[in-house]
Amino acid sequence: MTKFVLKRLGVGLIQIVSLMVLVFFLIRLLPADPVARFVGLNASAEAYAQAEIALGLDKPVLEQFKIYLLGDEQTDGLIHGSLGNSWISGSPVLYHIGLTLPATLELILLSFLISVSLAIPIGVAGATSPNGAVNKGTLIYGLFAGSQPEFSWGTIFIFLFFVVLGVAPGPLGRISPLTEPPDPVSGMIVVDSLIAGRADLLLESLWYLSLPVLTLSFVLTGPIIKMVRENVSQSMSLGFIQYGEAVGLSKKMLASDSLLAAVAPTLTLIGILFSFMLGGAVLIESMFSINGLGQFSLQSVLAMDYPAIQGVVIVISSLTLLVYLLLDVAQALLDPRLRA
Amino acid sequence: MKIIPAESPAPPGTQALSARAWSALLLAFLLSGCHAPEQSADTDSAVIYLVEDVPAGLNYDGPAASLHTSQVGIVNLMDPLLEYAASPEVENGVQTSDFSSFEGSLAENWVYDPAEQSWRIDLRKGVYSCAGNELTADDVLYTFARAKSVSGAAPVGWFLASVASVASFDTSVFDNPAKRRLGDEISKLGRYSVKVFQSAPNPLFPHILTSFALRVFDSQEMRKHATESDPWSHQYVDEQTSPGFGPYCTERWIKGDEFVLTANPYREERAPSIKRIVFKRVPLSSNRFVIMKMGEADLSDRLTPREFEALAGLDNLKVIGLTGNETLFLHMNFKSPPFDNPLIRRAVSAAVPYDWIINNGYRAQAKQWLSVVPTRYPGVSENFQPPPGGLEAARQLLSQAGYPNGKGLEEFQENFQLSYVAEKQIALGPIANAIRAKLREVGIPVELNPIPLTQFGDRTLVKRDLPFALSDQEKPVVVDAGYAIQLFFASPSAGGVNNMTNYHNDSVDALWASARTTANPSARAEFIARALDQIAADIAWLPLAEFKTQWATHTELYGFRWYPDNSIRFSDLYRKEH
Repeated sequence: MTKFVLKRLGVGLIQIVSLMVLVFFLIRLLPADPVARFVGLNASAEAYAQAEIALGLDKPVLEQFKIYLLGDEQTDGLIHGSLGNSWISGSPVLYHIGLTLPATLELILLSFLISVSLAIPIGVAGATSPNGAVNKGTLIYGLFAGSQPEFSWGTIFIFLFFVVLGVAPGPLGRISPLTEPPDPVSGMIVVDSLIAGRADLLLESLWYLSLPVLTLSFVLTGPIIKMVRENVSQSMSLGFIQYGEAVGLSKKMLASDSLLAAVAPTLTLIGILFSFMLGGAVLIESMFSINGLGQFSLQSVLAMDYPAIQGVVIVISSLTLLVYLLLDVAQALLDPRLRA
Repeated sequence: MKIIPAESPAPPGTQALSARAWSALLLAFLLSGCHAPEQSADTDSAVIYLVEDVPAGLNYDGPAASLHTSQVGIVNLMDPLLEYAASPEVENGVQTSDFSSFEGSLAENWVYDPAEQSWRIDLRKGVYSCAGNELTADDVLYTFARAKSVSGAAPVGWFLASVASVASFDTSVFDNPAKRRLGDEISKLGRYSVKVFQSAPNPLFPHILTSFALRVFDSQEMRKHATESDPWSHQYVDEQTSPGFGPYCTERWIKGDEFVLTANPYREERAPSIKRIVFKRVPLSSNRFVIMKMGEADLSDRLTPREFEALAGLDNLKVIGLTGNETLFLHMNFKSPPFDNPLIRRAVSAAVPYDWIINNGYRAQAKQWLSVVPTRYPGVSENFQPPPGGLEAARQLLSQAGYPNGKGLEEFQENFQLSYVAEKQIALGPIANAIRAKLREVGIPVELNPIPLTQFGDRTLVKRDLPFALSDQEKPVVVDAGYAIQLFFASPSAGGVNNMTNYHNDSVDALWASARTTANPSARAEFIARALDQIAADIAWLPLAEFKTQWATHTELYGFRWYPDNSIRFSDLYRKEH
């Protein structure tokens, strides 16, 4: 197993380095010069030139790459653990990622927790009773939830629960603007409230996260249910399940065994969705004013903030590869044939 | 993470809970379902301001200086030496400024000595920063020295000082590091007095002192955060706060999320009535709209005209605003044929649907712009008139140009791509589409080309190769028509800064050169007026509309005043029962 993990880690490292090199050079080929945005339109040619020097863009691209990797007298490089400073804010890219990544993780972890908790029993029930009400309801829900993208559901939920019914908070982020957030430890307000022993903040953050989590869960639950139901249905036709049925095992036991056989593909789907959501939650983040990694990525791309774009790519790809690695390990644990 | 800790005590109710209590609490929460938690105690005194973004930086010589949101932060933390005097006029809930006279902010007296081309500035006494340091001449010297060091990513302070002809603030600083040190062009006369020398008589000097840049730093606090590699404390200002002598201090700043200001505890004179301001980032205007509508915030801006219109009629809310310096114009590049043909420029100007833009694009919260400089600026008259006759006139002009019904213009299809900032699609998209429709009616083959702001800035400021564009973001930050000519219309060889349409007219350059060098204010005004007439006649820009700068606010908030940077000074505001 150790060999298996090390091999996966090695491949992952090569992938991250390749991606980093590719992104570094590709963004510099885009037909826009970021300097103009930073100096503004009330600037002289001299100010522009000064800004270009300050951002290091006056140097040849290969030299820029060398500085990015190794640093120079004034700045640390990637090998020192520095991702550089954002050109929009002047703050280290790591500061922005430290601020935004936990917000995104908090949102998607809570959403997946709810989605998976709902999807597995519903999917299993649908598979074990194909003509039952649960299965029919699931089909309708799957069609309904998948019919529109998440930002559309977000708009509908804000209108319905906040504007019309007044039972949900406004799209003001993860906590009330008037509340001082807990001291950041993990960066996830729910977790940090628990660490600080602040029941009031815990309740408040759960309250403010309720609509974004509902929206994301609403969209995510559909495909997970479908995947669970399909895979449990397929596994129920396997020989060992049919044998169990023939010898009179209970429906509950059969369902449990079928679910175990169906776990692998379901885990794969969850992993893929999770990785996608790391950067793809941008619409939900915008919709609910959550300062997440998707928002930061979007702003960085629009502003041609090269260090920020490079930093985000490295972090998202590393996390994605980590998730895939964990999936591979889980699959290998479930199926020893894969360890070869 | 670097979050500035709040100095205020933790809200009541803070207490550590045992694991058992936590379990019970979580269970109770899950069983009872979510409910609205009670708000913190300071709801009444704080103002919640919904913003498109919180300041990305607070360094006016830093990378975020050109962003409006950063400027809002800077002007509330730092005071300038001078301000424009308040005008008694109040327009639609907003007090205006009198741009022909100044009032002291950190300065108490300011006197120009024409004999030695210098300004003596006496500072107010007893003005303290958030760190409790008193304002002195050393702070002014430090501020100018920092600007002259051109050590920031975007040297805005140096730029404005050079525009105002502050002695030795010239381009030599970029070639020779020794020239970056402050010499005797700014000298200390006493603990509270300085003298600033100019290289030429230039009336822009007091104007630049009112802008968001060159605001005075607390030099003691800045020096405390200087390092060997960053002697001018850019990193501190980029990441923590901008220590000045303003009405507010930074309580908390989470970039991309929120920015909280509290009243400067050391400020006795002109202390702000509103003690706490919470800037909350809500990036979507539709969300700012619904939150305002539901009464969960006190103030918002950058809504669409339709959203402002919808909020105007609601209880407890008012929409205020005035036509300041926000304008919309069509950019036609003289180096991109057929825009080098004056008849084509006139044909476009005849065909544009001005009324539609004003009544539909801006929901009647705009007026036709009949100049190339904001008409609120002193000395600016309405000197532009599109050719009368609308579409028919446009067709005739096209025929005169040799393109009857637009035949032959397809050769220039590439140059008729009407570009605009894609991020402003909601506001500019419908207007661009209306222009496209009318121009196509007369045979001009226009297509829409929304592009990202960065690309737009690059092609207008740096490459200057954008042939045809719709723009609503250019405004002269210094309230002076001469500055606007220098910025946008003078040729680079004549000292022009950002002539994005590659406009060139020898007579305009000559008039601007005369205006720059004369010490006679009325002669200067005459030169500038003549230059503006020529620029308008050449349609260097095609002015379309001057639209209102608006805010949606709670009916209890009063005291709004318009400043040329379009940023609210929260120290102006106060609450009064409606």
